[in-house]
Amino acid sequence: MSLSLSAQNVVKRYGGVLALSDGNLDVHAGEVVALIGANGSGKSTMSKVINGVVVLDGGRLLLDDKPVHFSSPQAAKKMGIATVFQELSLIPKMTVAENIWLTREPLNALGQVDRKVIKQKTQQLLSLFEGTYKTDLHPDDPVASLPPDEKQIIEILKAISFDPWMVILDEATASLDSRQVNRLFELVARWKADGKAIVFVSHRMEEIFRIADKFSVLRNGKTVGAGEIKDINEKGLVKLMIEKESIFSFARAAKVEEKTEKPICLEVKDLRADTLRGVSFSVREGELVGIGGLRGQGQRDLLLSLFGDIPYSGLVKLFGSETRLRPPREAMKKGMALVPGDRAKEGLLYIRSILENFQLPSWAKYGFPLRIAKAKKDASDTGASLNLKMASLNEPVSSLSGGNAQKVVLGKWLMRKPKLLLLDDPTKGVDVGTKAEIYDLLTKLCGEGKTILFYSSDDEELVGLCDRVLVLHDGVIRSELTGSSLTKENLIAASLGVSNSGGEA
Amino acid sequence: MKRLNWNFLMSRYPAFFPLILLVLSIAINLFLQPNMFALDTLNGNMRVFLPLILVAVGQAIVLLGGGIDISVGGIVAIVNTILATRVGLDGTPEKMWQFVILSLLVGVLAGSINGFFIAYLRLQPIITTYATSFLYGGFALFILPNPGGGIPAKVAELYRSTTPLGLPLAFYVIAILLGFWLYVSSTRYGKFLFAVGGKAEAAYETAVPVTTIQFSTYVISGFMAALAGIAITMLSGSGNAEIGNAITLNSITAVVIGGNAMSGGVGGVAGPIMGAITLNLIQNIISFAHIDTWWETLVKATIIVVALATPGVINLFQRRRS
Repeated sequence: MSLSLSAQNVVKRYGGVLALSDGNLDVHAGEVVALIGANGSGKSTMSKVINGVVVLDGGRLLLDDKPVHFSSPQAAKKMGIATVFQELSLIPKMTVAENIWLTREPLNALGQVDRKVIKQKTQQLLSLFEGTYKTDLHPDDPVASLPPDEKQIIEILKAISFDPWMVILDEATASLDSRQVNRLFELVARWKADGKAIVFVSHRMEEIFRIADKFSVLRNGKTVGAGEIKDINEKGLVKLMIEKESIFSFARAAKVEEKTEKPICLEVKDLRADTLRGVSFSVREGELVGIGGLRGQGQRDLLLSLFGDIPYSGLVKLFGSETRLRPPREAMKKGMALVPGDRAKEGLLYIRSILENFQLPSWAKYGFPLRIAKAKKDASDTGASLNLKMASLNEPVSSLSGGNAQKVVLGKWLMRKPKLLLLDDPTKGVDVGTKAEIYDLLTKLCGEGKTILFYSSDDEELVGLCDRVLVLHDGVIRSELTGSSLTKENLIAASLGVSNSGGEA
Repeated sequence: MKRLNWNFLMSRYPAFFPLILLVLSIAINLFLQPNMFALDTLNGNMRVFLPLILVAVGQAIVLLGGGIDISVGGIVAIVNTILATRVGLDGTPEKMWQFVILSLLVGVLAGSINGFFIAYLRLQPIITTYATSFLYGGFALFILPNPGGGIPAKVAELYRSTTPLGLPLAFYVIAILLGFWLYVSSTRYGKFLFAVGGKAEAAYETAVPVTTIQFSTYVISGFMAALAGIAITMLSGSGNAEIGNAITLNSITAVVIGGNAMSGGVGGVAGPIMGAITLNLIQNIISFAHIDTWWETLVKATIIVVALATPGVINLFQRRRS
C-alpha cells in the first residue's frame, strides 16, 4: 500500500492542443483532495495522467517519492490506483457482475469464472448503496438496462472492488441524486478513515466543501492554487478558477405576477409514456418553468415525448390548439426545440465542424445550392452572441471544451428561433463560467417572450432561476413550487416525496 | 408467462432465432428428401457442411471481438493447394498427417499476420483482411495455378465415411466445438472477448489486454480456416486455388444468421453453427426443388435476405404495437 502520489510540472499535448502545461497534484493517504477547474482547464487530463490512460509528455510522477511511469491503465492499477471515469468504463452488453470483476474474475480450478462467488461478492458491493436504487438491481442484469445513476454506482463499485489505496472520482456525482450522493460521501469518509487517498473532481462547490480536505485548482492547464480547504471559501475558489468573482449572481426572471396575464403556450393533460404515469400542467408564454425531482423520475421522458421523440398518450395543446407531435420534425415545425441531456450522444456530431453542427436543423433555410456564405455568417453571429470560444467554424466540435460544446447545442436550436424551448439538464458537466452565461441567456430569452421548460439536476439552479418548479416523483407531478414556497428545502423534500410543503399541484 | 417477450428472448438467447430457422429448413428439406436422416444421406450432407461450420466458428470469434476476417477463403485455398501438391495422390498417410500439422501452422501464421496489422498497427479490419485475402489467394494460385493434385484416397475416405456409433464424424466435431466454446466463454478469456467486442475503449480503461485479445481472434480464425481447408481437401480429394472463394461471405452470413451482432460483443458459437447448417440446407432445398440454375442465386439470396430481415421486422411490429 502506497502513501502518497505526486504529479509535478506535468505537460500533456493532444495533437496541437496543449491540455496541460504545468499540472501539479499532491495526494496523501487518508485525505480527500478536490481537483477543481473550469471545463477545459485540464482536470480530466490530469486524472488520466495519474491513472495511466494517457502518457505524459513532460514532468514526472512520484509514488512514495520515487519516480514512476505508467504506460497503461494496467500499470496504474497494479499500483493500486482506481478510477471512476466520467464517461463510464462499463461494457453495456455485459452484466453488472461481469463488469465489476472484469480482469479480476474469481476463477475455479478449471480456470472458469466462478459464478457463485462473483454473484455473492457483487451482492456484497451492491449492498453498500442499498436503499438508494430505484430498480431491483441484480448482479445478472445487463448494464445497458440500468438508468444512468445506477450505471454510475456500478462504475464506483467497480473502482473500489479491488481495494485500491487511491480512488479518483471524476465527476462521479453528476448523475447521482441527493440520497446517492450522501451515501457516496459516507463511503468516502469510511475510505478516508481506512487510509485511502481520494481525488475528487467536481463542479459542485457545495460537495467540495462537504468532503474535501485539500484543493488544487487548474486553470488553462496550469495549477494556479492549492492548499487546505478550511483556509478558503467558495468565492476564493471561484476567483482562482476564473478570475471573475460575481458569477453566482443571476437575477430571477420577471416577477411571476406579470406573467399570469399572458396566454397559455403549452397545455398537457394526462401525458403517459414509458416512465410517465399521467402528467398534467400548463405553461404560459414567457414563463421559465423548472422540472425538478430525483433523477429518473420521468423528467427525461416528459421532455422527449413533448418533442415527439418517444411514443406517448394524452393530450398536448400548443398555443391553444391540440397537436400531435411525432416525429420530432413536427415539433420543430411548431416552433419547439429540445436541448438533449446527453450532448455527446444526442446533441452533437462530434467529429463534424462547428458550422455543420450549428446548421444541422436549419440547412433547409439556405436553399439549393446552399448559400454557404450566409450560413457561415449566421453561424458565426450565433457563436459570437453566445461568447463561443473557438478557433474557427471549421474546427470539429470535438476540439471544444464541455462548456463550449454545450453552447453549440444551445446555438443550433436558437438559430431556429424557437417559441418553446425544452432543456434537459443543460448545465450538466459545464463549468461555472458557462453556467452563469447560460443562466443569463435563459433569463434574456424569457424576457423576449420565449417559453422555457427546464429540467435540472441542480436544485440551486431551479430555485434561483425558475418562476415555477414542477416536482416529478415516480412519473407524476408530486408538487408545484412557486413564489415563496420555492425554496431549496421544499424542493428537496418534494423530490424525496416525503412532504406536501409546497402545496399539491 | 402469457405473452413471451420477443426482445427478451432475442437478447437473452441470441441462438433462439437461428434455431427456428434451422428447424424450418430441416422440415422443408425433409419434405423434399424423405430419406434425409438415413445415415448415408446424413453423413453425405454433414461432410459437405463441415468446412463452412469450421470457418463460421472462427469468423464468429472474430466478430465477437469486434473485428471481421475476409481472408478466411484465402487461407482455406492455401491449405488446400499445399496439401494437394505436396502430399499427392500417391502419398503415404504419414506424409499427409505431417502436412496437416504444417497446414495448421500456416493457418496460424496467416491469422497472426492479420492480427498483427489490425491489433498492433491498428489498421481497419475490413480493409486489412480484404488485402490479405488477395495475398493468401494469390499465394495459393502460385502453388497450384491449375486445378489438380490430390491426396491419398485412403485418407480422403477416412473423412468421408467415418461414422462412429452410427453418427456422422461432423457431429462429433460440432460437439467438440460446442463443448470447447462452453468452456472458453466461461473463462476469463471469454469475458475479455465480450468486453473488447462490446466496448473496446472501456475494456482498455479497465486494464483488459485489448490488443492481445484482438490479435488472438485472428489467430483462432486462421486456425479454424486451416482446419476447414483440411476438411475441404479431404472431401474433394484434389486441389483448386479457387476453392475458398465462396466460403468467406458464406461464413459471415452464417454468423449473422446465427444471431451474432456485426458490431461485436453479442452472441456465441452455437448460433453461427446453426446458421452455417441452415445456409447449406437452403442450398440443398434449392437443388431439390428443381429450380432453374438461372434463378438459383436469386432464390438463395432472397431466402437469406428474408431470414436476416425477419428479426428486424418483428421488432418493428412490436414497436408499432406498443
